[in-house]
Amino acid sequence: MTKLTCEDTFLIKRRDLKNNYFSYVFRPYSRAVRCKPGNFVHIRLASSDVYFRRAMSVASVNPDREEIEIIFKIFGRGTALLAGCRRHAPVNILGPLGNAFSFPRKNEKAIIVGGGVGFPPLLFLASEMIRKGYPPGDIEFFYGGRRSGEIVERVRIRRLGVNLRPVTDDGSYGRKGLVTEAVEDYVRKHAGERMRLYGCGPAAMLKAMDDLGMKYHLPGQLSLEAPMPCGIGVCLGCVVPLRKGGHARVCRDGPVFNIGEVLL
Amino acid sequence: MTSGLNVNIAGVEFVNPIMTASGCCGYGEELTDFFPLSRLGALVTKTITIEPRLGHPPPRTAETASGMLNAIGLANVGVDRFISEKIPFLEKQKTRVIVNVGGKTIREYAEVAARLNDYGRVDMIELNLGCPNVSQGGMEFGTDPRMTERTVREVKKVFARPVIAKLTPNVTDITRIALAAEQGGADALSLINSVVGMTVDVDTWRPTLTFNRGGLTGPAIKPIALARVYAVYERCRLPLIGVGGISTYRDVLEFFLCGATAVQVGTALFVEPDAPLRIIKGLADYIKTKKIDHVSEMVGKVRKY
Ligand SMILES: Cc1cc2nc3c(=O)[nH]c(=O)nc-3n(C[C@H](O)[C@H](O)[C@H](O)COP(=O)(O)OP(=O)(O)OC[C@H]3O[C@@H](n4cnc5c(N)ncnc54)[C@H](O)[C@@H]3O)c2cc1C
Ligand SMILES: Cc1cc2nc3c(=O)[nH]c(=O)nc-3n(C[C@H](O)[C@H](O)[C@H](O)COP(=O)(O)O)c2cc1C
Ligand code: FES
Repeated sequence: MTKLTCEDTFLIKRRDLKNNYFSYVFRPYSRAVRCKPGNFVHIRLASSDVYFRRAMSVASVNPDREEIEIIFKIFGRGTALLAGCRRHAPVNILGPLGNAFSFPRKNEKAIIVGGGVGFPPLLFLASEMIRKGYPPGDIEFFYGGRRSGEIVERVRIRRLGVNLRPVTDDGSYGRKGLVTEAVEDYVRKHAGERMRLYGCGPAAMLKAMDDLGMKYHLPGQLSLEAPMPCGIGVCLGCVVPLRKGGHARVCRDGPVFNIGEVLL
Repeated sequence: MTSGLNVNIAGVEFVNPIMTASGCCGYGEELTDFFPLSRLGALVTKTITIEPRLGHPPPRTAETASGMLNAIGLANVGVDRFISEKIPFLEKQKTRVIVNVGGKTIREYAEVAARLNDYGRVDMIELNLGCPNVSQGGMEFGTDPRMTERTVREVKKVFARPVIAKLTPNVTDITRIALAAEQGGADALSLINSVVGMTVDVDTWRPTLTFNRGGLTGPAIKPIALARVYAVYERCRLPLIGVGGISTYRDVLEFFLCGATAVQVGTALFVEPDAPLRIIKGLADYIKTKKIDHVSEMVGKVRKY
């Protein structure tokens, strides 16, 4: 078996999470077993005005049943088209692509920070950490959104046993304000403890996380987004500037980068 | 090797007429995740320049109707690192290797070509005479017949194996450029490079790409490429390599019929990295059902009105 293929699979479970969020499960996907937290799949949405595939982080897997799940929000043309897929629709998936998060050490607290539709890879990360024996109580799961309706899958996240800390812009659910402010308060209050940051979300949130990590000398990783024509590292369209100089491809050298590595 | 698909260009044998286009397959490493490169007729590398280049700041690609715009800006590792880091990998690949060469001056083209001449693994070079995405060099070489001829001639002096001139469609009469390249001693022509284009974000009133304009590629440009291949085929004797918007074997057949001996697949690799395999299989099946002994029988055979 070659390492990668474009594989035809089917949308077998389609959940409307409201507020334009959806959870899709695809089966059979023979490479489900190879998906690690941080990896993404590239989904074909053949139409004349959506030419490129769209990258979607893996949100969960069930290797025995050869299933993978993605969670997405309607944003533009591509995701609108995706949202129109009916159950049993054939979908072509390329992946798993990109690198993965590295797990925290046993004595480190995991400070997971998801902003908006950035939470799916972090859900996978938290689940895998717990499956590998990491204590759920040591996971702080900060989840920021505009308003209450944008904090989706709360029950599911809570059920993992992690400390879910919702933050909304308008205070309609959880704390009011920016998620990174809540993270900074937490970090300050627990100064001296060993912590590792994980973040995925909008650009401004990632920049604030990067600053925070450097300010408090905390290690961590951020998962970045970029428009991705190919997703496999050949077009050089998705590059980001590195602090040490030069460029990195988000699709192949990332999407997960260490705090301080990228000029955000 | 599937019989009936092998082609010969300027004395070099290719197992089949399907190549991957410059800038769309890196230096080959990533594609090996999908198939052994031996399945390809040839791999054409990203343009190599004398110095490494970072290219333009992102965003440097944009999606368009049936294709894309790019202004990567010839980002590449430079000839030294190409030789030290990429040639060892390519040595192990059982495919033809065509190195695409670019420069800001004729001298730079010749210098890169001269360096590559020492490496037998480089079966051919392809001169990028029409990159729309650099402010200096690239485009002016391919839009001026005299510059085209001189660039090819100088490179031919220092590179002992066949030289392909890759032409830009962004000219009034591509046949004049083709004939100039032939005059300069080119062994084959590949056409076309990307078509100058632009998109604007109406919310910010900014061009989508930081370079303001870019090169249009993908299915959107196939008819343009076919018309150019056909025009050149009628006037020029050199073997032609068709490029532009190819994603299926039927696209390839159109290029053959319009006069191409071989083809390159570019943007389609972004959507279907294994497209070359499907195309090769499609071609083999087609000639079998049509009882055609060899793909070369179709070259230029479009039944014009
Ligand atoms: C590694 C990775 C993982 C992702 N995971 C998820 C996920 O789990 N859930 C989810 O909902 N979304 C995810 N995304 C974003 C998703 O791929 C879509 O690109 C995004 O939602 C916009 O797509 P669209 O087609 O709806 O918008 P469009 O309107 O088609 O695109 C809007 C504009 O943004 C550009 N664009 C396309 N893709 C991106 C991008 N990734 N970043 C910035 N601009 C882009 C387009 O070229 C276009 O100009 C991920 C992106 C990446 C890179
Ligand atoms: C992202 C991208 C980068 C490219 N880089 C180069 C390059 O470095 N040198 C070159 O000669 N052509 C380059 N091209 C042009 C292609 O080789 C090809 O001529 C063009 O894309 C048309 O073919 P297509 O429609 O199959 O992509 C590039 C094209 C794309 C899409
Ligand atoms: S998307 Fe093409 S190199 Fe990353």
